[in-house]
Amino acid sequence: MRNLDSEVYEVFAQSDSLSPHVHVFNVQASSPEMALVLAEENFFRRAEFVSLWVVRRDHIHHLGFGDRDGFKKTAKPYRTTDDYKYLRDKWRYYREHPMNPDADRTSTQGGHEHDFTRD
Amino acid sequence: MSQQPLISDREAYFLERLDRGDRIEADDWMPEEYRRQLVRLISIHAVSEIMGALPEKEWVPRAPTLYRKLAITAKVQDEVGHGQLLIRVAEDLMRPWGKTRDDIMEDLFAGRLKYHNVFHMATPTWADAGIIGWLVDGAAVITQGMSLSCSYAPYARALQRIVEEEGFHIQHGESICLALAEGTPMQRAMLQDALTRWWPALLMFFGPPEKSELSTNQLRNLRYRIRSKTNEELRQRFFSKYVHRIRSLGLQIPDRTLAQDAVTKEWHYQQPDWDLFRQIVNNHGPRSQERLGLRRTTYEEGAWVRRMAAQASSV
Ligand SMILES: [Fe+2]
Ligand SMILES: [Fe+2]
Repeated sequence: MRNLDSEVYEVFAQSDSLSPHVHVFNVQASSPEMALVLAEENFFRRAEFVSLWVVRRDHIHHLGFGDRDGFKKTAKPYRTTDDYKYLRDKWRYYREHPMNPDADRTSTQGGHEHDFTRD
Repeated sequence: MSQQPLISDREAYFLERLDRGDRIEADDWMPEEYRRQLVRLISIHAVSEIMGALPEKEWVPRAPTLYRKLAITAKVQDEVGHGQLLIRVAEDLMRPWGKTRDDIMEDLFAGRLKYHNVFHMATPTWADAGIIGWLVDGAAVITQGMSLSCSYAPYARALQRIVEEEGFHIQHGESICLALAEGTPMQRAMLQDALTRWWPALLMFFGPPEKSELSTNQLRNLRYRIRSKTNEELRQRFFSKYVHRIRSLGLQIPDRTLAQDAVTKEWHYQQPDWDLFRQIVNNHGPRSQERLGLRRTTYEEGAWVRRMAAQASSV
């Protein structure tokens, strides 16, 4: 039977002021104040925190895995640096072999663009 | 008797906290001047991200390949997202004044709130889009990298997220510029022209150099640990990071006096026209009015969307 005097509180803590609050665990408590006391006693007997939050579980709205099911199916290399790993080698190469300002070069290194001018 | 203005115990304790390396949160007590400086800095940063999306947005429909179109779209979305993050940080700070993001936008449209000089400039070619990603975002990361150590924690946390995405923007720009540098003579010329066009604006981005004395504003922001470096220190970093790379592509920097002192390592350079800088940031730059106009129109035409979104909870 559910104890009507109690609620479940999810606990979040921040270990230093530049970090986000991270979910720790949860406690059952009769009030937010009680939840804070229990959270501190349960999870912070050793570790330090700069900020501790408790949130009543039924106040949390969430998106589950099902909602994001299709998300992973689309590759998004154009949003990441994955395709740009080659840049490091190029910069190193040109540091050692600077391009000539007046060189009449044609691409041999496979850039993305084709000959292009604005209309 | 001391000539120093009196500061309250609360303010003395606040400064002591800063000196200890404590970071300030939105609901901590803070001197009104600290709040004012932060709101000014963060609102300028926020609207610069939003206005900064516009020069590159012009190239979304004209990007040379589908891949480039996707990448520049992703970057433009990121910039608007950075604006959203920063507006939230500013709104929390403005709460005691009863102000919101609407006031930020109104201040922008009325010319009371300025945005960075670089986003007033024209982007006539695809190479301009490349130079923005490589060097404008590169310059921005130098400033934002300093601000990661800002004493105001919510701003520092926002910047951690922003700087991470800027890493992608810079590589996106490098990739465009390298492809053009390795391309046809026409593409190389286009890249050189874009660099020549952007160079003075890049130097202006860091703000006027400090003469022997810092302004009271700057001294205050250094004291409040809002910033830790001067305009000139940041510009010097930019030179050290990029001059060599620019030259390694066979590009010419349009400043014959640019040179690094072998002993002091200090860069000597031709000052950009600082009167022109003031004109530009006062919305008299080449594209200031068009971009502000576009932003204003979009804002007005989107009013019904904001109204609907605000009512969504009562549906
Ligand atoms: Fe950004
Ligand atoms: Fe960016």
